[in-house]
Amino acid sequence: MATRRPRAKRRSKADREFVSEAEEILDAMRAGVADLGDSLDESRGPDPELVNRLFRAAHSLKALAGMFRFDPIRDLGHRLEDILDGLRLDRVRLDASLCALLEESIATFASLLERVGDVQALGESEPAIADLSRRIAAAAAPPAVEADPLARLSVDASLLRALTEYEEHRLRESVRRGRHIALVDSTFEILSFEEGLSELTGAIREHGELISTLPAPGAAPESQINFSLLVASDLPANDLLAALDFPKASVRSVLAGEPAPRAQLAPAAEPDASAQEPADESQALEPPPGETPGELESLRSISDTVRVDIRKLDELMNLVGELVIARGVLGELTLRLQENAATARVGGELAKLHKALERKLRDLQSAVLDVRMVPLRQVFEKVARVIRRLRRELGRDVRLDLRGADTELDKLIVEALVDPLMHVVRNALDHAIESPEERRAAGKDPEGTLSIEALQRGNHVVIAVRDDGRGIDTRALRTHAEARGLVQAGQVLSERETLELIFEPGLSTRDEVTETSGRGVGMDVVRSNLAALGGVVDVESVPGRGTTITMTVPITLAIIQSLIVGVGERRFAIPLSSVLETLLLPRTAIQRSEGRELIDLRGEPLLLRHLAREFDLAAEPAGESLYVIVLGIGEQRVGLAVDRLFGQQDTVIKPIQGPLGALHGIAGGTDLGDQQPVLVLDASAIVDDATRRREAA
Amino acid sequence: MAAANSREDWQALAREAARGVDEAPGEEMRQLLVFQVADASYALPVECVREIVRQRATTPIPRAPEDVCGVISLRGEILQVIDLRRRIGLAPCAPTRRARIVVVQAEESGVAGLLVDGVREVLRTGQSSLQLQGGGDGMVAGLVRRGDAFVSLIDLERVLDLHVDA
Repeated sequence: MATRRPRAKRRSKADREFVSEAEEILDAMRAGVADLGDSLDESRGPDPELVNRLFRAAHSLKALAGMFRFDPIRDLGHRLEDILDGLRLDRVRLDASLCALLEESIATFASLLERVGDVQALGESEPAIADLSRRIAAAAAPPAVEADPLARLSVDASLLRALTEYEEHRLRESVRRGRHIALVDSTFEILSFEEGLSELTGAIREHGELISTLPAPGAAPESQINFSLLVASDLPANDLLAALDFPKASVRSVLAGEPAPRAQLAPAAEPDASAQEPADESQALEPPPGETPGELESLRSISDTVRVDIRKLDELMNLVGELVIARGVLGELTLRLQENAATARVGGELAKLHKALERKLRDLQSAVLDVRMVPLRQVFEKVARVIRRLRRELGRDVRLDLRGADTELDKLIVEALVDPLMHVVRNALDHAIESPEERRAAGKDPEGTLSIEALQRGNHVVIAVRDDGRGIDTRALRTHAEARGLVQAGQVLSERETLELIFEPGLSTRDEVTETSGRGVGMDVVRSNLAALGGVVDVESVPGRGTTITMTVPITLAIIQSLIVGVGERRFAIPLSSVLETLLLPRTAIQRSEGRELIDLRGEPLLLRHLAREFDLAAEPAGESLYVIVLGIGEQRVGLAVDRLFGQQDTVIKPIQGPLGALHGIAGGTDLGDQQPVLVLDASAIVDDATRRREAA
Repeated sequence: MAAANSREDWQALAREAARGVDEAPGEEMRQLLVFQVADASYALPVECVREIVRQRATTPIPRAPEDVCGVISLRGEILQVIDLRRRIGLAPCAPTRRARIVVVQAEESGVAGLLVDGVREVLRTGQSSLQLQGGGDGMVAGLVRRGDAFVSLIDLERVLDLHVDA
């Protein structure tokens, strides 16, 4: 499976590293700005921690661009940092136009990144950046002046002077919101104060916002150190002390809050900005608990992570693949040595070594595979972002339910999944989920639900996108298909076969062309994109109740276990991930119905195809019995009859190069180490053909 | 990226070729790889040739046109191989020891192997000795004079214009 990355081609290694790191930061910023937009919609103040995160991201981006000497990017990063700093210190007010400006800046960043390596194009974008910078500067209007709330605090002025500008702002903000302000004092052993302090700050964060941690001078013995922690909380001082449950701490009230605070602000106690998503997902997107978010955070993630170009991993994978093949040949030679009486002793020793090599190689293989595995989380985040935006644009109330974001897949597959998944999600939002009025009229919850669930099933990952919308109108679909000549007027189709029509080119369940789904990309593209990955897509729909689109993809494209089968003199490899079981049946077990062959698989009819006939090959004369391989792709099952089974082998599937291009029914070729390539069957095409032919019959 | 042995072949061929050609002074020279198919000589510009390898085990492709003899594995790459004999309308013959697969890199069709009966030489020739052949549906784009005989210049894109019958 050749994946092209044309954008990165002409760039130097340093450029590529910069772009990949910068893209990561931009992704995080995009998500942050979307959350910021949400907090605006829900008319609460921006989450200070979120603004902080954004500020740090802009700062890292600026620093990174400076390091790599990408001046236009650095300048823009600098502006963005300014405005986020203003937002952080409440010098700038958050409103819709600011959100739009932030979104625009990020989009501009993204387009700048595309031009990295192209000096001229970078230069051409400078006027646009200057314009954007001007507008950002204009947006930084001074906020309204009010009486300084800090005057109300009963606290030593020296303490207030020790606060940073940001801390002071947070304090002021908390007072304005009527929260209780308290000083938590505690004494720690110098040798172990870090653990004690982090335990205390952790406890504080559960019940309020830690504004500042100040070392307190005082009468502590030399081996001890005092700290004063300035805390804003919805709990009065006494309750806070009880809640902290920290024996060595004392709490004194600096300002009693107002009862019934208007809004909760404590980051930990506040419902998460993405509260509409299930809790386990949204929480995991936050920094891990116990880790103090701060400037050190970004440094840390850089120091224990190595960024690797996926092409290097491809190379590594190929090398491992070649080792695996060489190992196979070694195994055969060993066997030959063992069979010969004269060399049996050497052969035996070699066999032991070979076993050890095999084990280590398997470990190496899975280690390399493991490196390529990434959780689906990043794709889910992208989808969540798009949904938030569409929610605003389309005015639909949609609850998003994401599950299984930790499911891991090969990086290349994850990348290739983005477009199909996005398309399916857009379709659901655009066509499937009705307007709130329509839903109310139908007696449904006015808020629709879109759930995306990923789960691993053997060597595949199944991703189900479920909506509770209007479902697919199969009659309209049928009319449409007849109008396009895809179905004959009198042709009898089952409900399922009619639904499958949505995968035909040029069919959509609605005529309107909209920005969200009318991009000329239909479900046929989703199907072919997934087929290119060796995956399949299924559809289920109940009118009025909703639609489920299920995408099944293999976990990895690299080294896979294959079953080697023989027909006549030919060998073929079948990816084991598509093989459910193999059967040895007497020929008399074959039954016939309407010209099709069936076998009885534990009470269920199983369609039987013959590989020899599929490929017009000369098969061996019919014997007493036959091998049947039960292929399973998605929900479909088909039996494939072959002459012989040669057992399982590790295979590295390579694309077949040449003028014929893609060959139907063949997924690629593989070299098993004997120089004679073996063709790898495309199990999904074979299953597809068989089930389609059933329709045609 | 030719294997070492074929690179040596190349140099030998190139030296040999340099001896036998008369050059018109000042003329832009082209290098052609000349090979044998049946009893005639054919050629391709060397820029199209990636490497030359011995004939090796070929796996037939089901439902492929007869002109495609199958796929080979070349250092892990799986390549389709076209039998040039069949492609130019001749009967196939049993492989000989001199048979080679010329791995070509075409602009549009990508990499492919061409099975030929033997590689002869690299010919340096000027534009003046090249006669383009218009029209026709053959696989030959033109003729090149070589002493008193002609070498047929292969039209690579046309040779590689192959499809699986639906």
